[in-house]
Amino acid sequence: MDFYFGMLQIVGLHTILGLSAYIILLTGQVSMAQAGFMSIGAYIAGMLTVLAEMHLIPAMLIGGVAAALVACIVGFPALRVKGLMLVVATIAFGEFIRIFWFNFDYQISRGGVKLGPEGGEGFKQIRFFPENGWSTLDVAIFIWVVAGAVIAAVWWMDRSRAGKVLRAVGEDDLAAQSAGINLTVVKVSAFTAGGFIAGLGGSVYAHYTTHIEHLNFDIVMATFAIIYPILGGLSNVFGTILAVIFVQVFLLEVLRPLGDLRNLLFGAMIIVVMNFMPHGLFSAQVASRIKGVFSGRKEGANA
Amino acid sequence: MDYVQAIVDGLLFGAVYALIGIGFTLIFGVMNKINMAYAAASFAGAYVSLGIAQVVGLSGDFGLPPFVMFLVSAVAGGVFAYIVYLICFRFTPDHYELASLMATIGTLLMVDEMVVQATNGEPQNYPEVLQGIFDNPMLEFSEEFAIRGDLLTLFIVAVIATLGLLWVLFRTKLGLATRAVAQQRMAAQLCGIRVDRTNATTFVIAGVLGGLAGAMIGAVVGTLLQSLVVIPLTIKGLIVTVIGGLGSIPGAIVGGLMVGAFENVFLAIRGVTERDMYVMLLLFVFLAFRPQGLFGRVAVRD
Repeated sequence: MDFYFGMLQIVGLHTILGLSAYIILLTGQVSMAQAGFMSIGAYIAGMLTVLAEMHLIPAMLIGGVAAALVACIVGFPALRVKGLMLVVATIAFGEFIRIFWFNFDYQISRGGVKLGPEGGEGFKQIRFFPENGWSTLDVAIFIWVVAGAVIAAVWWMDRSRAGKVLRAVGEDDLAAQSAGINLTVVKVSAFTAGGFIAGLGGSVYAHYTTHIEHLNFDIVMATFAIIYPILGGLSNVFGTILAVIFVQVFLLEVLRPLGDLRNLLFGAMIIVVMNFMPHGLFSAQVASRIKGVFSGRKEGANA
Repeated sequence: MDYVQAIVDGLLFGAVYALIGIGFTLIFGVMNKINMAYAAASFAGAYVSLGIAQVVGLSGDFGLPPFVMFLVSAVAGGVFAYIVYLICFRFTPDHYELASLMATIGTLLMVDEMVVQATNGEPQNYPEVLQGIFDNPMLEFSEEFAIRGDLLTLFIVAVIATLGLLWVLFRTKLGLATRAVAQQRMAAQLCGIRVDRTNATTFVIAGVLGGLAGAMIGAVVGTLLQSLVVIPLTIKGLIVTVIGGLGSIPGAIVGGLMVGAFENVFLAIRGVTERDMYVMLLLFVFLAFRPQGLFGRVAVRD
């Protein structure tokens, strides 16, 4: 049974990560720095619960806010460049944060045991869950409470005026600007919100694995974050969730016998999908086709 | 600490960054898209040359002339670049750049994993084929300052490769077609240029340069280690391209030499683990104050 709870935990964590990139992608920006923002939340929340012995929930919020602040600061200069240059800038920034943690040492000795992040060795013993006697099921439920809150918040945002504004900027930023939308505010807000969600996800992730190191937040993780909303199509949040389930459950777990070749498979899957279904597996077209099948209409009736 | 030595070594080694940057910039020039898998695929070429050397047993005392390694690496780099073109650019939608971008990122992860599988993630000794062409140290000005023979060879090879590329671009019909496509794709097509073929050829040329760069890195450093080569050098090549200005060959050359010198100075001051952080800071400085890069055009909306 623990296997399925573990599965549930991974899907929940990756949903949070995917939605953090979803918000930014709505404005037409591809951020490859989500793994970096996630690592900020992870390290800071971990340090707060382990070194300052804080409770998890305030630590998570502080981790999220810290990541949001960094994302906001990154947002400004990064917005001077568009499109593909932004991809390069965010990749470089993500790697910058990763190398920062690789060089980051802050340990205190408590009761003869050294605690805290230790450069390349990583940050061990983030034992909030085991110390408070949480079972796998408890942790899974907790992750899904957080994920559920994030899903609800993003879904509500998407349907409100804010969502329309983000999409308007994503569709055509010049047209949006002519309609009186302040592009800088919108883009930086999207970055900040995405950073907060990623930081929140990172702080949960750190406590879930109990051991984080800089390699957890490499380019593979950044690719995971951005590929979910792309595969899911940008029509709504549920596409992203379906994409997480598709990648994490179907692709990586069902095909687990392939063992170490999973990264290879992940890369190959991206190539195949981008060639054959470039607008995502669950794009608006596919969604309307499915809807058409269920309501008995002919295919393409409302395409 | 001798900064002159660090800067000169860095400038010489920066020639390979310039080659990688030229590759990225060439592809961006004709396609207006970034090929994230470019550097990785080219270094796969260097790994192929290494594999052949290990199988044939060249690595001990090196029987064949060194240029064979370079030739194999360059050819394999070209072939891989063509494969990348086919799987990431040829059949993805033209107007939707996210598709080719994500496909190349997928290829990057795939190549990275393939290299891990092939080498078990362990460093592979690369025959130091650049040694012995010049004396080492080649020129000794004082006890503190000398020019390394292998770095000088690398620099000369890189200059020859760049001159060769410029010859192709400015003195052949193929180069004319490439420049035409880069300038105005539709107009070039109307003049009867086969855009697909021109694009593919540009990829192959860039791949050959990248394969050469990969082989030279292996030869100078003495080892190829996946975790230090595939993704880090992709990022460094991208940084060089952005600093020089997307699509600008002189920019890539200057950017490459600059990044080489810059990182070597910080290597001397702060050590190897922090070196790359400062290169990225250099990129952020450029993004904040000169986002179009050294030689780039100011972005206009088309």
